[in-house]
Amino acid sequence: MTKLMYFAILLPAVISLLALGTRKLGRVCGATALLGAVVNLVVALKLFMAPETAVHIPWTSWGLDFTLRLYSFSGFIVLAAAGFALAVTLYSLPFMAKRAHSGLFYFQLLLSVAFANGAALADNLILLLFFWEGLLITIYGMIAIGRPGAWKSALKALVLVGASDVIMMFGIGLTGHYAGTLTISKMHLALTHAGPTLAFLCLVIGATAKAGALPFHSWIPDAAVDAPLPFMALMPAAFEKLLGIYFLARVTLDIFVLTPASWCSTLLMTLGAVTILVAVMMALVQTDYKRLLAYCAISQVGYMLLGIGTAVPVGIIGGLFHMINHALYKTGLFLSAGAVEHRSGTTELNKLGGLARQMPVTFFCFLVAACSGAGIPPFAGFFSKELIYDGALERNGVFYAAALLGSFLTVASFLKLGHSAFFGKVSEANKGVKEAPWAMLLPMLAIAGFCIYFGLFNTVPLHKLIQPVLGAHRLEGHDFAGWPHSIGLVVGTLVVLALAALHHFFGVKRSGSGSGAADHVRGAPGLRQAYDAAGQGWFDPYVIGMKFARAIGAVTWGVDRTINWISDGFAVGVVAMSSYLVRAVHTGSLSIYIWWALAGLVLVIVFLVKVN
Amino acid sequence: MPSLLVILPLLAVLLLNLPLNFLRRLAQPAALLFAVYQALFALQVLPAGCTGCPTHERWFVNVLDPLTSVLLLAIAIVMFAAVCVLRATASDEKHGFNALNLMLLAVAGMNGLVMVRDLFSLYIFLEIASVSSFLLIAAQRDMGGLEGAFKYLVMSALATMMMLASIGLLLAYSGSTKFMVVAEALHAHGSHGYLLTAIGLFLGGLLIKSGVVPFHGWLPDAYAAAPAAASTLLAGIVTKCTGVYTLIRLVQDVFGPAVATQQLLLIFGALSVVVGALAALGQSDLKRLLAYSSISQVGYILLGLGVCGSANKFAAQLGVAGAVFHLFNHAIFKTLLFVNAAAVEKQTGTRDMNRLGGLAQKMPITGLTSLLAMFATAGVPPLAGFWSKLLIIAALWLAGLHGYAVLGIAASLLTLAYFLSMQRRVFFGLLRPEFAHVREAGWALTVPSLLLAAILVGVGLALPWLIGSFLLPVKGF
Repeated sequence: MTKLMYFAILLPAVISLLALGTRKLGRVCGATALLGAVVNLVVALKLFMAPETAVHIPWTSWGLDFTLRLYSFSGFIVLAAAGFALAVTLYSLPFMAKRAHSGLFYFQLLLSVAFANGAALADNLILLLFFWEGLLITIYGMIAIGRPGAWKSALKALVLVGASDVIMMFGIGLTGHYAGTLTISKMHLALTHAGPTLAFLCLVIGATAKAGALPFHSWIPDAAVDAPLPFMALMPAAFEKLLGIYFLARVTLDIFVLTPASWCSTLLMTLGAVTILVAVMMALVQTDYKRLLAYCAISQVGYMLLGIGTAVPVGIIGGLFHMINHALYKTGLFLSAGAVEHRSGTTELNKLGGLARQMPVTFFCFLVAACSGAGIPPFAGFFSKELIYDGALERNGVFYAAALLGSFLTVASFLKLGHSAFFGKVSEANKGVKEAPWAMLLPMLAIAGFCIYFGLFNTVPLHKLIQPVLGAHRLEGHDFAGWPHSIGLVVGTLVVLALAALHHFFGVKRSGSGSGAADHVRGAPGLRQAYDAAGQGWFDPYVIGMKFARAIGAVTWGVDRTINWISDGFAVGVVAMSSYLVRAVHTGSLSIYIWWALAGLVLVIVFLVKVN
Repeated sequence: MPSLLVILPLLAVLLLNLPLNFLRRLAQPAALLFAVYQALFALQVLPAGCTGCPTHERWFVNVLDPLTSVLLLAIAIVMFAAVCVLRATASDEKHGFNALNLMLLAVAGMNGLVMVRDLFSLYIFLEIASVSSFLLIAAQRDMGGLEGAFKYLVMSALATMMMLASIGLLLAYSGSTKFMVVAEALHAHGSHGYLLTAIGLFLGGLLIKSGVVPFHGWLPDAYAAAPAAASTLLAGIVTKCTGVYTLIRLVQDVFGPAVATQQLLLIFGALSVVVGALAALGQSDLKRLLAYSSISQVGYILLGLGVCGSANKFAAQLGVAGAVFHLFNHAIFKTLLFVNAAAVEKQTGTRDMNRLGGLAQKMPITGLTSLLAMFATAGVPPLAGFWSKLLIIAALWLAGLHGYAVLGIAASLLTLAYFLSMQRRVFFGLLRPEFAHVREAGWALTVPSLLLAAILVGVGLALPWLIGSFLLPVKGF
């Protein structure tokens, strides 16, 4: 089995190099990438079936060993990542065919798979960091090969993710210090003292930033517009969530022991609630298919944070279940956006409309994924959200209310999205639009199938994938599969869904179009100013950071010039002046030199006699 | 037998001057051979130190302690380089032969000087070395050479008078000129004004010989005016032996590390370091720059020696070790720089740095070795000069002399500044059209350059082995 773990990391990496080598050959390159994704899925399936195992190779001293560990959770993540990778690769074949840098895209896609597998399997924090940072490189590279000028978004992603990773590195150092080891499975720290708590918070920041939570999220909407679309379906929608939440779960469950009594738990839940609300408010007013989805993706991370942050079994299970559900439906939604973009050439909601008739299969897939995301029974997202609600309510009603409000807004934004893209009048430019090619439909249909399957038969994912993560003893005998236990919660959800639908019809009636369904929110007193400020980047940590950096730069430039003057002007002047004086007294006259020597001699003798 | 190191060169001078023509042609090979012999001899006794070596021989007292062995090694290396330079630069055979004889005499003088333990014998050997040097400088018989030799001669005469007067006083007081006896007398009645005057006179004489500011007036003219081979020998080792070595030896063995002596050394050392470096900064003559650089580096050696009386025994040991190590390193890199200056002068016909430039393209070995020497002098790790400066500065710091330590570091920057300026003006930058056909100097100049550069790198890298085996035992506490 240890060989299989090596394969999971090495095979995608090797095939990625093959893709790089054949990048000029178009279809050959695509076929290579597809082969790589299939092989990876096979390996991942075998790994998933395999019993728990570990490989440990002493590498350097200081606890930095090459340690991989395969168990239910890492196997699940590797399998899920492999599935998404295959779906996106297949989808990319037609999508990327006519685009520039498709070879580089496949190369980085497979490399990302290798890094993701490594990060999931790594059982040493430093090793994990290595793979984790590898993903940062491919994120940068994949955004940068998007449309012209995408390097700015790529840089933004690099800076924001890089900044969060630096914090995580610090956290890893602290954790290693307090735990006395860098092997994850040997760590077990309590959150009672300040030091370990700081380490915990640093690791949480690293994990949640990876997953895309506030405040390191702002690169995602920009990348949504600039990067090639399959990247969005692969990375922010699937890989980042899988790995970020995976690591968050490891941090809160294994490395540290998060208890409901801890203020860290409340902090995580608050972060989750704020992320849900702020991001979904932004999603609601977006006018671009992909940007809306990107904000929505950020918002959904909030649910996972909220669920895991509750530190009670039902919330954790809900958060993890939502992770896989979200990866499914958000990838599906992004893929539908890609299909629309591929056929109509735009993703601006104002220019779209009536596509349901022209692209029925795409619409169906969108509908299923959106229903899952909106939490409509009996789709998968409904069940995971119910579990999270249950956990939030167990902790505090405020969090439940925030989550419900988030749901309301999510549904509203999906309704707006679906309405403006798939209903209404077909615009002139889109008259001849046809259904997407089968290679794009196939992954979308598969994902839609999973959205339904994981809902109707939620026993399967919960029993096979999610509940083993917590293990029987931490589940305390509960089984969260099947229909929600609390009828009250279901009723609450249904009421919110109905309200959201009403709100949508009110908005449509007020503005006269699907894409304007949220215009009254956008223009509401108070909110308008906030949205304007957000539009100007006032709340974007990157923009703030860059302004700050520019200010620091101006100050340090001044300091630098001053120091430069002291060293290059003042000091050099003093030295040159002294040098001139010293040379001026060396006239070459022997008699002067003799007088110097005699004076020195007198000095020596006088000094000796005086001191003694 | 250590006495051979004195007898052989003297014997060689006698034999070579027999009226037999074929002997003259053997002169240079014989001198090189002798240098190799002396180097091997020094290396052989170096690790053993004084244990197992003869302390008394028939004609004069001589002792081989690590300090002496290090100096013998340095003399051999510099002599080898100087003979090579002589071969490459001598204007004609007769001149070359005469210079070689003088070199052999100077080496005999220096070898005797570092081995004796008696003030008067020391004085004799010191004069042998000095007088040979005057003649070497003047050998070219041009105005510059004569002026340089004259200044050196006058100042040396001053030094000689002081030292002779001091020896007379000490002899009168202690009844002997042997180090041990004089040291005991000084130890017993050290604070007597009469004895202090004697010490002061001797120190003054040695400071003149070392070229320490403000006793240094003769040095730049003598170094710059001397013919290439003479300046290599003079700058490389003669001043080091007659001045700096004797100072170290007498302070350590005879005068004892008194507080006043220590402070004098520190003051004059610091003055030399700064004034030498500042003066070097503005020079346009390559050899004159090197001469002022020597003054500055001798200042470092004095700073190291100035810690010898510190209450912190480890700092004192470290300081003296650093001083001796820097003495050796300075002999090596200054010789290397003078060899390279000779190469530049020979190939281009000038030493004026304003007229040179870009020579590294045409003379890669000279350019590279000069860069190494410059880094070593400025104290760039891991070259030899870095470690010796580090020892000195660490010793100063440990002894609580923080101001001097900071000064030592700051002056390193000045060192780097004037050497970088030299390197840029001579070896880097644009090649002037008139030097388009300049070629690398012949083997007689490149071989010693490479050898000396290899020593700088090798000693720097081998420091961990050297520090325990001979650096720290130099001053055996």
